[in-house]
Amino acid sequence: MGIKLFKEPKLKNPELFCGWPGIGNIGLIAIDTLKEVLMAEEFAEIEPWDFFYPEKVSIKDGLLKELEFPSNKFYYQRLKNRDVIFFIGEKQPTEGERMYATGEKAYQIANLVLDVAEKFGCHRVYTSGACVSPVHHTMKPRVVSVLSSDKLAEEVTTYPNTILISEMGSRETEGVITGLNGLLLAVAKNRGLESICLMGEISDWLSASPFPYPKASKAVLEVFANILGIRIDLTVLDEMTAQIEGVIEKIYEGFPSEIRERYDQRKFVAQAKPGGITEQDARWIKEHINGLFKKGGEQGGERSV
Amino acid sequence: MEKDLFEIYQPSQLQSPSLIVAWQTHDVGKLSSKVIHFLNEKLGSQKIAEIKPSGFFPLGGAVFKDNLTQVPESKFWACQKSNLLIFNSEEPKYEWYKFLTAVLDFAEHYCQAKELYTISARPSLTAHTTPRGILAVYNQPEFQKILHGYGLENMTWEGPPAISSYLLWAAERRDIPGVSLWPEIPFYLATREDPSATKLILSFLDSRFNLGLDLGELDPEIRNQYESIARLRRENAEIDRYINRLESGLSLNEEEQVKLAQEIYELLEERG
Repeated sequence: MGIKLFKEPKLKNPELFCGWPGIGNIGLIAIDTLKEVLMAEEFAEIEPWDFFYPEKVSIKDGLLKELEFPSNKFYYQRLKNRDVIFFIGEKQPTEGERMYATGEKAYQIANLVLDVAEKFGCHRVYTSGACVSPVHHTMKPRVVSVLSSDKLAEEVTTYPNTILISEMGSRETEGVITGLNGLLLAVAKNRGLESICLMGEISDWLSASPFPYPKASKAVLEVFANILGIRIDLTVLDEMTAQIEGVIEKIYEGFPSEIRERYDQRKFVAQAKPGGITEQDARWIKEHINGLFKKGGEQGGERSV
Repeated sequence: MEKDLFEIYQPSQLQSPSLIVAWQTHDVGKLSSKVIHFLNEKLGSQKIAEIKPSGFFPLGGAVFKDNLTQVPESKFWACQKSNLLIFNSEEPKYEWYKFLTAVLDFAEHYCQAKELYTISARPSLTAHTTPRGILAVYNQPEFQKILHGYGLENMTWEGPPAISSYLLWAAERRDIPGVSLWPEIPFYLATREDPSATKLILSFLDSRFNLGLDLGELDPEIRNQYESIARLRRENAEIDRYINRLESGLSLNEEEQVKLAQEIYELLEERG
């Protein structure tokens, strides 16, 4: 079980940005886009075979050419005012059929990621993910933060469009950030590192959708750009968002008009609890949503997305 | 070598043996189990060790099949006179890499195995009367050259890997040359036995390792199967037409495939 270092860049107090797949791939897309925009250079990887099964074999003319595993790679970039490390995990290690990391493997991979971060002098870790919320899907998603210590609250609330999770009104004051985007925060805190999770808001009914949700990724990315003091061209995400919005609107048109009417009230109220719709509406959405996603995906061209 | 993973019954007397690995899971045409059973019986193999199931297989209860409990077995057999190390196992449910590392650790560090052969089978849209070949995957071009002349055909494939490919890859990382053998089995024999394919693989092993096996004893079984299917073809025009089409290199649609597989399954079940 190990880490393969391709090179050892000299970095000055780098900050770590980690992304794994999750709801709408909000965090993964945000961090991967940031890594691409900054043209970060690959310098290390976690050897995957202890965590993942191979996904593809290539055999040509009788010779086994390649066995492909989900990748878990580190990248770095030196910016004007700070250095950054990115970790992108293509998959979360699980000990069963679940989507999110659980158990010993998850803990091991979280520690390996932080081993690399600390080796290069990292003192702060950012993760990102989704915050499922009763927001209307046409609204600009807010960025919701969870921190390793109160000391960070003052700083985080200066970020644009960002709130603490406690500011979501009557939302429960306790909760779980599922999978590695959450677990890494906890392990980092145990090691005495500052850690901040920035989650893009996604409407509750979209949280089970099979496609990405770049609108929230963009919201998170804007915050990252602010943190790093850089400007980012987000045209790619805008194009992706436009395509997905088209798919979402088609699905939304499949809702009964009376549910849509009540749901649209969310546009005018800052919601804390599922509002604008009745319990019956929520039940209807839950029962029909998978079929609607399938239909919407087919009509809206999920593949092209 | 992580010794806690193994139960060792007796020391290995093998001298840089060849390792033959067969998987009982997804045992198409019961090829793997038949080949290993035949080898162990005819060559007088001795059980020398096993990989303990804990951590690799679900142990929350016992699986049973045909009234019998099934125990996940992962055993090493040594055939002294032919210098073969045979590993016969279910595919592990968990921790594939650790499991395959254990297989290779035992073979390499305990027995100094010099090369690897894995035995699997793939269902194919061919007729049982059509001469079949063995598709092969090598992990080193040099080994491919060495086995040139044994009548193996090169496989080309991209997709999800079988555990044999994973083992081959892991062996290459230790510089152990290896080959996966994939005889084609008519799809309608996949859930039954295919003595022709069994004989084909045994012929290759016999020739490669000079085992001196008498494979003639498989012939009555092959003949009986042919005769049973021939009788069914005479009695059932539809089945005859399906097999005719396969013999002519044509394919069958899904419904026809299911029908043919079902009929042959029932026929061979009756025959026992």
